Amino acid sequence: MKLLLVEDDKETAAYLARSLGEAGHALDHADDGRAGLLLAAGEAYDVIILDRMLPRVDGLAILRTIRASGVDTPVLVLTALGGIDDRVAGLDAGADDYLVKPFAFAELLARVHALARRPPSQAPDVVLTVADLTLDRLKRTVTRSGERIDLQPREFQLLEYLMRNAGRVVTRTMLLEGVWDFHFDPKTNIVETHVSRLRAKVDRDRAVQLIHTVRGAGYTVREPG
Amino acid sequence: MLRSASARLAALYTAGFALAVVVLGWVVMATAQAALVQQFDARISADAEALEENAKSSSLADLAQAINARQLEPGALAYGLQTRTGQPAAGVLAGLHVPDGWSTPSIPDRDGLPDLFRVHAQPLPGGGRLLVGDDFDPVEDLSAVLLWRFSVALALVVLLGALGGLLMSRQAARRVGAITDTAEAIIDGDMSRRAPIHGAGDDMDRLAGVLNRMLDRIAYLMESLRQVSSDIAHDLRTPLTRLRQRLEALLSRADAASAGPLEAAIADLDSALETFAALLRIAQVESGLRRAGFREVGLDTIARNIVDAFAASAQDSGRQLDLETVAPVAIQGDAELLTQLVANLVENGIVHTPRGTRIRVRVTGSALEVSDDGPGVSEADRTRLFDRFYRPERSRSTPGAGLGLALVAAIARLHDATLELRDVRPGLAVRAVFKPFHPQSPAR
Repeated sequence: MKLLLVEDDKETAAYLARSLGEAGHALDHADDGRAGLLLAAGEAYDVIILDRMLPRVDGLAILRTIRASGVDTPVLVLTALGGIDDRVAGLDAGADDYLVKPFAFAELLARVHALARRPPSQAPDVVLTVADLTLDRLKRTVTRSGERIDLQPREFQLLEYLMRNAGRVVTRTMLLEGVWDFHFDPKTNIVETHVSRLRAKVDRDRAVQLIHTVRGAGYTVREPG
Repeated sequence: MLRSASARLAALYTAGFALAVVVLGWVVMATAQAALVQQFDARISADAEALEENAKSSSLADLAQAINARQLEPGALAYGLQTRTGQPAAGVLAGLHVPDGWSTPSIPDRDGLPDLFRVHAQPLPGGGRLLVGDDFDPVEDLSAVLLWRFSVALALVVLLGALGGLLMSRQAARRVGAITDTAEAIIDGDMSRRAPIHGAGDDMDRLAGVLNRMLDRIAYLMESLRQVSSDIAHDLRTPLTRLRQRLEALLSRADAASAGPLEAAIADLDSALETFAALLRIAQVESGLRRAGFREVGLDTIARNIVDAFAASAQDSGRQLDLETVAPVAIQGDAELLTQLVANLVENGIVHTPRGTRIRVRVTGSALEVSDDGPGVSEADRTRLFDRFYRPERSRSTPGAGLGLALVAAIARLHDATLELRDVRPGLAVRAVFKPFHPQSPAR
């Protein structure tokens, strides 16, 4: 994957370049807004990672310019501003996702993957399939090896989110935001509880497990092998 | 309109002026009448004296003749002569029955209409009575004219007073209204509004000026808060970001022995950041700026979502979370913050109670209540439960910084909701009473 990082802090940039490189991604780095703008307009990237607090300029102004020039590359905004309104301001400016510093690298990586996988058209598949597990978004049914699995509405949404990102890690925070629309961090382990219930319905007594826990990162649904 | 102070003042002034006009009219009329009556009386007395003098040297019959002759002269008054037995002897007033001295009887005129006369009656030394009088018309006319003029003046005073009062209170109401609108816009989160100044330099302008200076000060304080928040965000989070990155980098190539301490260090760092983020969040909620984004929110929907999200975790931890009596309730608010409010209350119920506790969420009217049947909270602790960093003795062992309920209190305040803590024996009930939302809310 080819990524663009616009970030003025050299140490953070170096760390991200190294870590993303280790994860197998190519990274271009711009350390100010103008360079970032030139790169974003001139090259095709899978995801742009944009720091909001750039020297002398708000990253969101850069983002608006990028969007105004017709570039619809997914943008993940990084920010040290953790305010309640800041996320909304970021999304309004055309960001696709928003991550507050400091963050766990696993969180950044999972979100970058989720963004890059976003299909260009807004219509996702009606039927999602992973191995012998099938989820029909229209009929709202789930079957495994042809057997019907009964899920609560929220469990259905959770499985749908995981299957849409099949093969990729989905973090706890992504699930809180995507499934429950919670933009705060509950102290109770609601994600763990719901995943384990879902797992009990989908994977119990099966030879092949499809829902996996990725230690220190999150969950993933993937085909065996 | 009468509820405005200036209208009441104008009405009071008008009433005062009207009273003054009435008193003045009465005094003028009484004085003029008295002066006129005196003139009448002087003329009548002079004529009566002359006739009485005449009577001394002549008989009643001669006097009758003199009176008849006199009555024909120009400028003559009215006369009457009565015999000793009271029989009319001569003159137009001869048939009048009045006591001796001055009187003002009513005598029918040629058309039979009553006509006031001023009459002086006196007994004659030789027997009989002499009556001298004059038509009182001039006094009556004067009184009528004065009464009419003062009535017109009174009506004008009342009319002008009411009109002036109306204009004055309109003007005042407009200016007070402008200041009220400004204050309400600011309460609703629009910090840029200021009270208009008309430039007349009057007391209203001074009030608006002082108000604006106060608002500037508040805006400055809020701007500093925002500035401090973003400065802290940048200057604190940037090094912490690097610290976390270094720890993560170390962790990725750590051996089994050093992985544990590194993970613990990262967890400590995250917990400190979380406390810091929670404090900032409370401060931001308390600034009131979020009000600008209020929209219609279903309180019941939020309660249902929270119970749906937390019921399984509660069950796994040996507690029970139920939703009770939920009717659709719409309020004006911030869905994200209200969700957090309910989540914090429910989580407190789960975290700070023993296993086996039953937690209930109830939405009735425009109130939301979260109650449990756990051990409850002592009276002393209840009063401080919403303070920042306050943690009852019993809760010191559970994780958390004591900011959850402080945030709940801040969110409730933002929504103008009142929070009530009750001992429900056994257990604790927290109730947030919101203002009901009427979509067709009348314009001010």
